[in-house]
Amino acid sequence: MNTNNNVYTVVYTTVVCVLVAAILAFVSGSLKNRQEANIKAETISQILTAAQFDTESLKSNDDIINFYKENISMAYTVNANGNEVSCYVTEDANICNISELKKANYSVVDPAKADEIDIPVYAFKNGVTVLAIYGAGLWGPIWGYVALEPDFKTVKGAYFDHASETPGLGGKIKDDPAFRAKFVGKVVDFDDEAPLSIIKGIAPDAKANAVDAISGATMTSNGLSKAIVSWVNAYKGYILSQQAVAREPQGEVMPLAVEESENINE
Amino acid sequence: MDAKLKETILNPIFKGNPISVLVLGICSSLAVTVELKGACVMALSVIIVTGLSSLVCSLIRKTIPNRVRIVIQLTVVAMMVILVDQVLKAFAYGIDKQLSVYIGLIITNCIVMGRIEAFALGNKPIPSLLDGLMNGVGYGMILVIVGFFRELLGSGTLFGFPVLKAIGYTNNGLVILPPMALIFLGCIIWVQRSIQKDLQEK
Repeated sequence: MNTNNNVYTVVYTTVVCVLVAAILAFVSGSLKNRQEANIKAETISQILTAAQFDTESLKSNDDIINFYKENISMAYTVNANGNEVSCYVTEDANICNISELKKANYSVVDPAKADEIDIPVYAFKNGVTVLAIYGAGLWGPIWGYVALEPDFKTVKGAYFDHASETPGLGGKIKDDPAFRAKFVGKVVDFDDEAPLSIIKGIAPDAKANAVDAISGATMTSNGLSKAIVSWVNAYKGYILSQQAVAREPQGEVMPLAVEESENINE
Repeated sequence: MDAKLKETILNPIFKGNPISVLVLGICSSLAVTVELKGACVMALSVIIVTGLSSLVCSLIRKTIPNRVRIVIQLTVVAMMVILVDQVLKAFAYGIDKQLSVYIGLIITNCIVMGRIEAFALGNKPIPSLLDGLMNGVGYGMILVIVGFFRELLGSGTLFGFPVLKAIGYTNNGLVILPPMALIFLGCIIWVQRSIQKDLQEK
């Protein structure tokens, strides 16, 4: 048969394309549930790692989800004023997944959409609260979690992940435990334009709200820093209101104090 | 036939090594040799993908229209890579996370396409499978050698374990950067050409 005539070529390529597409669609469709379960368990394990829980012993997906259910107190989303928007069902270990984080990122970085801010908060029973961040690295999206101590000022821990940063360089934001350990004990300081950031070549104790960047990965470090700054600023309303509650042992005293100060202004 | 098969298996390891002789797959050998672990994982995935794509292309070699053969090869390779990725995501998520960007990089690896063009389209499936696998091994070997030196001298570690810290070695930042991989590759090619005189240009 002449494999070089036009009709054959067109028919052949069409058949190959349809066949390959069908195989891929079938495989992707039949593996989807398993993949999503894996991704959810991984996201939860990242949240737990950021909050400095020991996740080493949690091997299977079920272990991770059960551990999360035991320790989570409340999971919900907040707006720019720090008010709760919607609540996740913690019994089902429902969380804000990466695609939802990506969507939320539009309102975080675009000032025009600032009033649509709807970002997740995970409050654990031991008082630690985990906030999410999302942004752009050098080659693709990066995201992560920053955990705050019960005083809502000190960073308890952090965990970052990425889609396609260079292994050994930008990939260190995830792979190098020493990098995320640098965040522990830092403080979120809203008096600074960048409440919590990554700065190139800074000494470990030079600044209470900044950590040193990764050498050889300036673009990824800058992207991560930008992501942290914009997201922490988006959480500003929430963090400040919680700081006020944390300072005051009786939480309900605070609204009164706010009213008083408003009266003075009038 | 036996001698020919032996040639197919042994040639890609040294005499016709895809990186040091054919100079294919240089880009990925710069990108993934910062750490030894990454180099090993990349080597393993390339071995699987080159083997399987060569096998499939060899099976359909007589039906492929000559004018669109590159497109068809590309489709087959891309499908293989996506299949491997999807299966790993569902059944070995931990390994898939380690592979991260490498798995996508395999599609761009010239060795896969190069071996299909040069060998699989003109040979029977079994020798093609072996040729694909062994070229993957030849590629992986160089990757592991370069990765070994880059991780050892650049970060002072091997597979993430600190080895040179004890003797007070200061990490060489230059070795981590891509240009140093080229210099290591150059050294390997130099060594090979001084052993294998017929490769030397007059």
